[in-house]
Amino acid sequence: MDAKEVVEHLVALKVMRLTKPALISPKIVTCDSKDLPGNILNNYLKDDATSVTQMETLAAGQFLLLPQSFGNIYLGETFSCYVCVHNETNQPVQSVSIKADLQTNSQRIPLTTQSQSPTMLDVDETLSDVIHHEVKDLGTHILVCEVTYMSNYNTLASFRKFFKFEVMKPLDVKTKFYNAESDDVYLEAQVQNITSGAITLEQVSLESSQQFTVKSLNELDNGQSVFGDVTLLQPQESCQYLYCLTPKENISKDIKLLAAAKNIGKLDIVWRSNLGEKGRLQTSQLQRMTPDYGDIRVTYENLPSKVSVDEPFTFKCNVVNASEKTLNLILKLRSLPDSSLLWCGISNRKIGPLEPGKSVSINLTALPINTGLHSITGVSLMDLFIKRTFDYDDLASVYVN
Amino acid sequence: MDNKPSLSQYFGNTDVPPASQFFDEIGTSPSDMIQSVYLGESEGNKVTSNQVFPQTMTASFNQHSGPQELTFSSVLPTVSGSASVPATSLPDPSTFFDTIGPEPQIGAPKSNLVNPAIITEAMDGLSIKNQPVDKEADRRRDAWIPNDEAKKTLMKAQSSPKGSFFPEREVLTMPGLVLEEELADALHEVAVKYLGVSSAGSRGVVRAEHVSRDEAGLRELLRTGYLRAALNLTAVLITAVGQGVGRMHRPTKHTPRSLQLWLTRFAVMLRIKLHEPLLKEAEQFGDFNKPDMFYQFYPDTYENRTGSLVPFSLRLLIAELPGHVGKSEEAVDRLYSMLDVIQQMLSNLRAGKTEDGTATLSSDQDRNESIRLWTGRETRVLHSIVNCSIALKDYRQAGKILLSLQQQATSSVQRRALSSALCRLWLLAGHIKAAQVFMEQAREIRHHICPTPDVREYVDLGLIDIAHGRYQEAYTNFARAADQEPTNIMVANNLSVCLLYMGRLKEAIAVLQKAINSDPERGLNESLLINLCTLYELESSKTNEKKLNLLNMLCKYKSDTIPNVLECLKLS
Repeated sequence: MDAKEVVEHLVALKVMRLTKPALISPKIVTCDSKDLPGNILNNYLKDDATSVTQMETLAAGQFLLLPQSFGNIYLGETFSCYVCVHNETNQPVQSVSIKADLQTNSQRIPLTTQSQSPTMLDVDETLSDVIHHEVKDLGTHILVCEVTYMSNYNTLASFRKFFKFEVMKPLDVKTKFYNAESDDVYLEAQVQNITSGAITLEQVSLESSQQFTVKSLNELDNGQSVFGDVTLLQPQESCQYLYCLTPKENISKDIKLLAAAKNIGKLDIVWRSNLGEKGRLQTSQLQRMTPDYGDIRVTYENLPSKVSVDEPFTFKCNVVNASEKTLNLILKLRSLPDSSLLWCGISNRKIGPLEPGKSVSINLTALPINTGLHSITGVSLMDLFIKRTFDYDDLASVYVN
Repeated sequence: MDNKPSLSQYFGNTDVPPASQFFDEIGTSPSDMIQSVYLGESEGNKVTSNQVFPQTMTASFNQHSGPQELTFSSVLPTVSGSASVPATSLPDPSTFFDTIGPEPQIGAPKSNLVNPAIITEAMDGLSIKNQPVDKEADRRRDAWIPNDEAKKTLMKAQSSPKGSFFPEREVLTMPGLVLEEELADALHEVAVKYLGVSSAGSRGVVRAEHVSRDEAGLRELLRTGYLRAALNLTAVLITAVGQGVGRMHRPTKHTPRSLQLWLTRFAVMLRIKLHEPLLKEAEQFGDFNKPDMFYQFYPDTYENRTGSLVPFSLRLLIAELPGHVGKSEEAVDRLYSMLDVIQQMLSNLRAGKTEDGTATLSSDQDRNESIRLWTGRETRVLHSIVNCSIALKDYRQAGKILLSLQQQATSSVQRRALSSALCRLWLLAGHIKAAQVFMEQAREIRHHICPTPDVREYVDLGLIDIAHGRYQEAYTNFARAADQEPTNIMVANNLSVCLLYMGRLKEAIAVLQKAINSDPERGLNESLLINLCTLYELESSKTNEKKLNLLNMLCKYKSDTIPNVLECLKLS
């Protein structure tokens, strides 16, 4: 081995990743006082600096232990490390400085150090810095540390050290959307812990886009989480969150805007692991598939869910022109032979002209003649221009008792 | 004072816990304290007459080890046939002393037994009468319910005419030593390698050779911290009772004494992390449910005595064992089955029956004493389950048990300690909000104990700050704790860790070095050494001198208690 190839530097560089320290406890071995070892082992335990007085046999200590390995690092966590340059000689070293960069797959990020200007290091002195960086990229990262100092020949000497680490994905987020008839959008978000340890979800929230207002359905009326006191996820476990998004008024009024409102919002997730090690992730903009409304959109409003037999009830029928042209429509109400609802009022009513994007609301009255759960059937619209009839038979049901 | 035990000296010794301390709750009733005085007496003698005893001890030990070997190498233990064992080495069921204490040859104890005045004096205000024979205490301490299978065999043993009970091989526990080689003093070995023979000294070797080769010697080695020497001595003593190397799978005679020897051996192995041989040697005992682990198996020897020969601590140690080798789930299973038996016994006691439910208790005092003991043991098992749950990161389970313990806790000191533990449990889980809630709760209860925050509260506050990443605030809280207890090693250590995260490495090192110098006995702690050597390595690439300095201090102040000195000092 050609050891002489290696240049002896006047200063040494050391780097240590600062994950959160651990809380440790002693080895808990106890005896009854009349056992052969008497109280000797108990006293070992009591005298141990890592044990907690009056709770010696419980492994929830107060003694901090420095991290003993690099550990895993996940996207959204903060990479912290201690960089230390030490004068290894027995005379002062001039003009010592440290520079640290983080090289990711896509970019090189300079990590700020407190002391940019070169300083003199006396014998056995150190120049050190604590670096923090929130990791925003997956994959290989290389911490590049460069130390510059004035050599014995009054020339600037420098050396670099590389520390390579892999940034992994901490969470898997799966989403599902449901477009409700009321124009509300329901979002189901499944957050899965794919780290190697247990994590606590400190905060999961949906920041809605401009078009929607959001209501979280993950809390009870008293503000308590539906998941109980702890949203602790063991590795591979997941937690499912539900949100209701209501389009803002200016959007819901305009069927064009509504059909274009694809951006739902972003999920913001904060988690913590060992002794509060924090991570934070925001998803990209979540997008829904908007429903196809066709040319004419019919919805019912104010429809009671429960009505009494032989008593007429009234509800609203909304007709929206979702097409590009003005519509002339005829509303037909037919009481089908086996239907349990009889329509009251005028059939073949003319609606229109209805301009594109405009809507009209009509009051309908029906008389239930049988008990049970019945679909509202027999409503149809005829487009006078193309002479075509559209049936709206299964839009809603009503319970008759 | 010559040959009499110096009691003031004994009680001044750290071996005796103050009555109010936690360890009382895990199984020390006041009457047990008397027992520990007995144990202490032979030790007390040892201190004053160190030169006289070793010789006699070795001699007597050699004397009877021979016949025992002969008796058990070939013959099935027909229990009643054990008459061939020298009568002196048979445990006398009527006295506690013989069941675990030194061999009768020691002489002195009998005469001391009938000298209750000294003991009463020693107990001072505790006003407890000396009861040399306490059958109730024996029953209470040894109680255990055999499982159904064991019960069948025990019935047979009890109902067979004298000498006619020949148990099947399957019901027998047949242990033997596995670890064959004698262990050298680990600290001494490292010291010789790194510091040379002259600096290493030879105190340890001398110590190991100068204790008597019996239980008293064993305790002396344990107390002075020569754990590997103590382990070697357990091997000698266990071999003497016929359960040495190569005796595995062979019938043998169990006595409370032999099981106490195994307890000591296993406890030491666990402390110095000799997990492999420990697992192998423990395997033969299973879960201590074989019928030969019960007094009822030996009606001729122990007459009507009931319960298990297995000390509770040994049963617990073996149940916890898988947890020490990364199989905490298995440990949890075993601990729960222990808990099941304990709860059965407690419900028997509450119904006015004896622990195993076979008889009625005569006095309320007996019953209360038993409930107290077994509730304490129940708590101890629950603590073990919590510890396993923490190891498994099952913080929900751990939290649930701690909460239930808190609800049962009778004193505010206990409730406060549990709130504080819950606070840290949730910090481990990263659930800071919950940690803060329990911190507040602990503070609330603390008001009933002392008006101003104490070390524990400041440290818990500091830990919450660390979880938030507020190292400056954490430092302030730890510093407040240090103001109250300047010599507290844990507080100094936490201050040092905090300083590192604040970018003040040099100060971090200085704090730890000062802590070690101010109290080397406690300061030279395994974890603190790891922290300090981590800092040394971060500071400079020339750390050897500093580490050897620590090694020198270890040689000066500590004996052979650290499982892995090289690992602690990060020496290569």
